[in-house]
Amino acid sequence: MTIGLVVYPELCHGCGNCVVACPVNSLRSPEISGGKGPTDDVDVIMMVDDGVIQLKNSNLCGKCGTCAESCPVYAIRLEKVEEAK
Amino acid sequence: METTEMIEGKDISVERTGAEDRKLKFKNELCGSCGLCEKICPVTAIEVNPTGAMVRTEQDASKIEIDESKCVLCGMCSSICPYDALDLEIEGKSIKELEEYPKLIKSSEIDDEACIYCKACETACPPGAITIARELPDRSKLVSGEIEIDKETCVKCGICEEMCPADAIELDYKFPTSDDPTIASDINVDKDKCVYCLVCKKACPVDAIKAVCRICSYGDYDIKAEDSEIIGNSDIDAETCVNCGWCEDICPVDAAKVTKPFEGKVTIDEETCQGCETCVMACPCNALSFPESAESGDVEDKLHIDEKYCIYCGACERACPVNAIDVERTKINCTPIKSKSWEKAFESVKD
Amino acid sequence: MKIIYITLGESVINTHGVNMPKHIISGLKYLATVELRKKGHNQREIAEELGMDRSTVSHYLNGRNVSWNSIEIAEVIKNTCPKDFLTLTYALLKDEDKTRTIIKTCLDKKYVCKVKNSCIGCGICVDACMMNSIVLDDLKARIDPYWCCGCLICVEMCPTNSIEIKEVEVDGNNRND
Repeated sequence: MTIGLVVYPELCHGCGNCVVACPVNSLRSPEISGGKGPTDDVDVIMMVDDGVIQLKNSNLCGKCGTCAESCPVYAIRLEKVEEAK
Repeated sequence: METTEMIEGKDISVERTGAEDRKLKFKNELCGSCGLCEKICPVTAIEVNPTGAMVRTEQDASKIEIDESKCVLCGMCSSICPYDALDLEIEGKSIKELEEYPKLIKSSEIDDEACIYCKACETACPPGAITIARELPDRSKLVSGEIEIDKETCVKCGICEEMCPADAIELDYKFPTSDDPTIASDINVDKDKCVYCLVCKKACPVDAIKAVCRICSYGDYDIKAEDSEIIGNSDIDAETCVNCGWCEDICPVDAAKVTKPFEGKVTIDEETCQGCETCVMACPCNALSFPESAESGDVEDKLHIDEKYCIYCGACERACPVNAIDVERTKINCTPIKSKSWEKAFESVKD
Repeated sequence: MKIIYITLGESVINTHGVNMPKHIISGLKYLATVELRKKGHNQREIAEELGMDRSTVSHYLNGRNVSWNSIEIAEVIKNTCPKDFLTLTYALLKDEDKTRTIIKTCLDKKYVCKVKNSCIGCGICVDACMMNSIVLDDLKARIDPYWCCGCLICVEMCPTNSIEIKEVEVDGNNRND
């Protein structure tokens, strides 16, 4: 068991705070560091898709907690998860 | 001979009884999530939880996990921990008191002779390890003068009471009656509070107050030097203290002296840094900050480190999700290391 | 089974989950008695070291009051590997001091014991050694070859694989294992 990213899509409002706040996303995409959702083809950790947040590349996550802090509804969290294989 | 683990709240203890009783104690509150224990452990028994997660989010877990099936209670983690969060006890005695175990040389002391109890260190101390207690002198002994209110002339208007900056004047207010159509029955000056500023004398509309201040002319004669001494006591809780050096830096009379466990270097890649603030929050020494520009138009570094407060623990490096920080330890200040394997282990955490 | 248990009563002990005749202990004590006598210990000393009556020691030395079968079994135990000799003896006697005496007295092998610099001084070998032959010196294990019985339990348990134990020929040459 280790601490990792978990999303709760049922709680998510799709505001995209987490996507923009995430420093890993922001480093990889100039659009995101400018405050927008990504339209360029770049690997981001999570993205709003179909109105709710979805994890795309959680292996890139540095577990800093910035996204969790930015979420107004507690829909993205750092929690105990099973080790990735 | 069996190794057992006990968890109490977020504190952990691992114990093995055999020829000797060995007990490794972890105090979660003191831990800085720097990861040095994980790095040095020769049997990879320690896992440190992600630094950012522990400092920015609510977690039920302890900051570290110790696998009791792997831990051999050698004490390396206890020796390297700059926060005193880990302590190995052998037969009830901490290895910090046993000469054969290397001990980090670090200290924070306040010279009580030089200290003026200004409390700057107490305010600045990041973990709140400093307590300054002080007893202030009697104000009445530091002023000198005379004051008298002519109660016949006084009309009980209360202007002097309202204007007195020391709250030294008090009127006994009452409801006026036809026999006694005054609004106060008495007026008194508390000479222990009065500072002879003479404001009441100047403000009195009927010149009922006679007062003189003797401080400028006769102060040296009237006021004794020993009466102005501030008595106090300074205390630094050695366990809570992180040896950051804030107290030494901020002390106006150089009464605080700090020796740090590590010497080193921190390199920040300002291009990579995205300003997420995780490192700033994680730093137990308040050494990192986002500087504000002094004047409009000035450009500062995105992320700034004050290395004078840094102890090179590496928590910031561990917290950073984009690897923008590099922490190098160039020297570890400790008592002589007699064991070759321990010497190697200490070298290995310099990075 | 029940009937046998009752008639054998106190002469049976349960060890390793198996009922073992207690007289095997007397076999081991017999072997130790003979060896100690050879080394010049007197009957009173032998009695004290092995936890026996002096009269029993006297009987053993005169070849009386002892089951030859149990001596045979004791010999077999003695000639298994040192680890089995040590652990079986301790299981039977349940006394570390007497076990040490018997092993030391009856074991005819000698060992050279080396601890490498990779030793971290964790003390697991000290705890594990039933012969009390290991101490920590400045965070490094030091094994006294006089007491080492070659059971290799410390080698198995060492987390850094820092212990090397080799059997020595009685005339001084090393022998494998």
